[in-house]
Amino acid sequence: MFAFWKKFATPSELRAAGVLGMNRRNYEIIAKSNNRRLYPLVDDKVQTKKLADKVGINTPHLIGVIEVQNEVNGFLSLVGQYREFVIKPAHGSGGKGVLVIKSFDEKQFVTASEKVLSYNEVYQHISNILSGLYSLGGQYDVAVLEEMVHFSNQFADFSYQGIPDVRVIVYRGFPAMAMMRLATKESGGRANLHQGAVGVGIDIKSGRALAAVSHNRPIRFHPDTGADLLDLRVPFWREHLEIAAKGYEMTGLGYLGADIVLDKFRGPMMLELNARPGLAIQIANGRGLRDLLKNIRKTYPEGLGFAERVDYVLK
Amino acid sequence: MLTKLKSVRALLTLGLILSFAFAVYAACYKVKYWGFNFAPRKVTDVWTVEEHVSFMPDGNNIRVSMARPISTAGFKVLDENIVAPGYKVKKEAGRIEVSAKPQQGLQDVYYRVLLYDNVDSRGKTEAEKPSDPEKPVMDEQTAALAQQLLDMSANFAGDAVQQIVLLFNQNPPEGVVQAFVPAPRTDKAAVEAMIDLLALKGIPARLVRGVKLEEGKKSLTPDVMFEAYLDGMWKIYNPQTGKKGLPSDFIIFQRGGKSLVDVVGGTDSVTKFSVMKSIRSSFRMAGHRADLSQSRSLFDYSIYNLPLNEQNVLKWLMIFPLAILVVVIMRNVVGIATMGTFTPMLIAMSLVETGFWPGLICFSLILSVGLLIRAGLSRLNLLLVPRISAVVIFVVLIMQALAVIGYQWKWPIASSALFFPIIIMAWIIERASITWEEDGAANATREIVYSIIVAVITYFVIVNEYIRHIMFAFNEFNLVILFIVMLLGTYTGYRLTELKRFAPLAGKGK
Repeated sequence: MFAFWKKFATPSELRAAGVLGMNRRNYEIIAKSNNRRLYPLVDDKVQTKKLADKVGINTPHLIGVIEVQNEVNGFLSLVGQYREFVIKPAHGSGGKGVLVIKSFDEKQFVTASEKVLSYNEVYQHISNILSGLYSLGGQYDVAVLEEMVHFSNQFADFSYQGIPDVRVIVYRGFPAMAMMRLATKESGGRANLHQGAVGVGIDIKSGRALAAVSHNRPIRFHPDTGADLLDLRVPFWREHLEIAAKGYEMTGLGYLGADIVLDKFRGPMMLELNARPGLAIQIANGRGLRDLLKNIRKTYPEGLGFAERVDYVLK
Repeated sequence: MLTKLKSVRALLTLGLILSFAFAVYAACYKVKYWGFNFAPRKVTDVWTVEEHVSFMPDGNNIRVSMARPISTAGFKVLDENIVAPGYKVKKEAGRIEVSAKPQQGLQDVYYRVLLYDNVDSRGKTEAEKPSDPEKPVMDEQTAALAQQLLDMSANFAGDAVQQIVLLFNQNPPEGVVQAFVPAPRTDKAAVEAMIDLLALKGIPARLVRGVKLEEGKKSLTPDVMFEAYLDGMWKIYNPQTGKKGLPSDFIIFQRGGKSLVDVVGGTDSVTKFSVMKSIRSSFRMAGHRADLSQSRSLFDYSIYNLPLNEQNVLKWLMIFPLAILVVVIMRNVVGIATMGTFTPMLIAMSLVETGFWPGLICFSLILSVGLLIRAGLSRLNLLLVPRISAVVIFVVLIMQALAVIGYQWKWPIASSALFFPIIIMAWIIERASITWEEDGAANATREIVYSIIVAVITYFVIVNEYIRHIMFAFNEFNLVILFIVMLLGTYTGYRLTELKRFAPLAGKGK
C-alpha cells in the first residue's frame, strides 16, 4: 500500500516542480492565449501550408488535395510523377490517418513500415479521410497528398522506421520547450508518445538531448536501435527555433506546438502546428512548463520580431 | 471584465452560496408546509392512480363514464380529481361521469385518485348474501366441456374455487380448458369462464377489476381478479394462483361485469392507467397542506402537481444533473479519459433499468459481439457513415437475438439488452474498434474499462433510493449542482491522474 502511494506526487510537490496540469493549461494558457477563431488556421493542414508559404516557412510540397469522393479515383494520376508520397487528412490530429507510401506501382503500395497495401486499400483510406473518420468531430474532410520527407541520416540510429520530429512549444512567440519524438517498434513507426514512441527533451539553447522517456519512465537507450539517446543533437537548431517562432506571426496563437522535421535535402520543415499541444513534453524534459511560461509572460520583452525572439532565447 | 479568473470564481461562488441558501430554504419550506420527507417511503404509502382516457369525438354529445375505486377494501380514497376542461362532471357511487357538447380534436380526460393503505379495515368487509347465480346459457357441446372441467377440477387441492383456478392455470395448458375459454385468451376471458363454471356449481362469483400498485407502472389494461361467495362471505381470488385474499397492493375499481370506462360520442378510445407511489405520502399531503398554508398557487406550479406520467419522467430526469456532476468530476478532477463525454452516464442510466450485474454482463456481451462483427466489417472497406449504420443495425439484431434467447431460456440477463441505447452502443463499438486499430488493443481496452468504471460509479450514485428521492423532492438542489459544475469549469488544479503521470518531475515514482 505504501509503495503504491510512492508512485504519486502531492499537488504541492508538482507545484514546486512547476508542472503545468491539463486544467490549468486549458483554462489559463489556451483559453487566454488562443482565440478560438484562429483554430481553423492550424486545424486545416491545407490552410496551414498556405499560411506557411506566405511567411516563408518550409513545408513538404503539396502534391494535391482530394476534396470529393469522385476525385479519389484520380489520385494515381496526381502522384504519377512522384516516387513516394504521403496521404493525410487535412483535419487530422495526433498522426491519425497519415499514410506514408515509400514506393508504389499501380497495384501495390508499400508503406513506410513495409506494409504492402493494395490499390483498393489506399482508395479506401482516402475515402475514409473524406468521410471524416480521422477528423476532429467527424465532419467531412479533405485528403492532402504531399511529398514525403526524406529524413536526415543523422537520426537513422535514433528512430525505428518513421520520421522523428521536433516539437517546440512556443509561448507568446518565444520557443519555450522542445522535445524530439522518436518512433519505436511499439509505436508502429509513429511519433506519438502515448503509442509508445520515445520522447527526448531537447535543451532549448543548444539543441542537445537533456533526458529521454518512454511510457513516462526515464530511459537512456532507444529500445529498438540501442542508440544512446543522450548523444542526440539536433542540427540546424536555430533554424528549427525560427520556424517555430514564426508560427506565432503566422497564426497569432499565443500558445502553440510546432512540429518540425529535418529533411535531408531541404533542411528543417514545418509539418504542422497545434493549438492544443500536449503536456508530455514536460516529462521528456524532466521539468515543468508552468514556471517557464510564467517567466516568459512576466519578464520577456514584447514586440520583437521572430529572429530577435530566437536570439533572446538563445542568448 | 469577467475574464479574470478570480472574478469569475467569485461570481460563481456567490451563485453557489445563493443557490444553496435557496435550496435549503425551499427544502425547509417543503418540509414545513407541504410535509415532504427527506427519507423516501415514510409513514403510510400513498398511491396515486391515474386513469387517462383519450378518444376521438364522433360529433355527438359526449359522455364518458369511469369506474371509481372502491374505498372500503383496504384502501381509502384521500382525494380525487378529474381533469377534463369543458366537461360537466357528475359523481355517483362507484362511477364518475363527465359529459360535454360535441367537441373537436383528440380528447383527453384524466381521472386521478389518491389512496392510502387503510390497514385497519382490511379483511373485515362483510356483504349481504347475493341471490343464487343465474345458470349460464350454454350450447350442448360447451355444457359437456364444462361438466368435464368440473369433474377434472375435483382432483386439485383447495376449495371449489381454487380447484378451478388451478385447473385453468396448468402448464402446459389443459386442452379442455383451451377449448372452453374463448380465444383470444385474455385474463378477463379466463376469469369469465371460471365464473361461468362456478355458476354451474351454484357459487356466485364476479369479476373484480382494478389496478395492481407498482411503482412507475403504465398500463393499457386493468388488472383482473375475481370474487366468489363462499361460506357466507365474498372472498377474493387471484385468477393465476388461486391464492385467497386481496393482495395488499391491489386497488379495486369495479366489481361485476360493468366496463371500467364507457365512452359515448367518441371513437378509438384508449384508456391508460399509471400508478405512482405518490412520492411517499409526503407529496400527496403536499396539496392539502399547501391549501392550509395558502401557498396553493406555488404548489400548482411545482412539478408535484403535474400528471403522473410527466412526474414519472421528471423523476427520472431529475437524476441527470447529478450523473453529469459525476462525469465532470471524473474527467476534470480525477482525469479519467472515457469514450465520449456522456457515454458512461448513459450506460449507468441503462444499468438502473436493467439491474447491475445483468446489465453489465449484457453490455459486455453486446460490446464483444459488436466488436467481432465490426472487425469483420472493416475487411469490407465500407465508407464511414454506411459502416456505422451497419454497426447500428447489427446492434439492433444482437439485442433482438438476446431478448428472444433470454425469454426462451428464462435467462432474464439477456432480456435486459433492450434497455441499452442503440446508437450509443454502436458508437462505443465504432470508437473502440478505431482506437484498437490506431492505438492498439491495450489503449482500446483501457478506454473501455475506464468508461465502464465511470459508468459503475455513476450507477451507484444514481441508483441510491435516498439520493433519487432527494433530487426529486427537493429539486432546487439541481441549481446547486449547476453552480458546482460551473465552478469546476474554473478548476485549474492538478487532476488526480496527473499526480501519478507527472510524479517523475517531482522526483517520485521512478
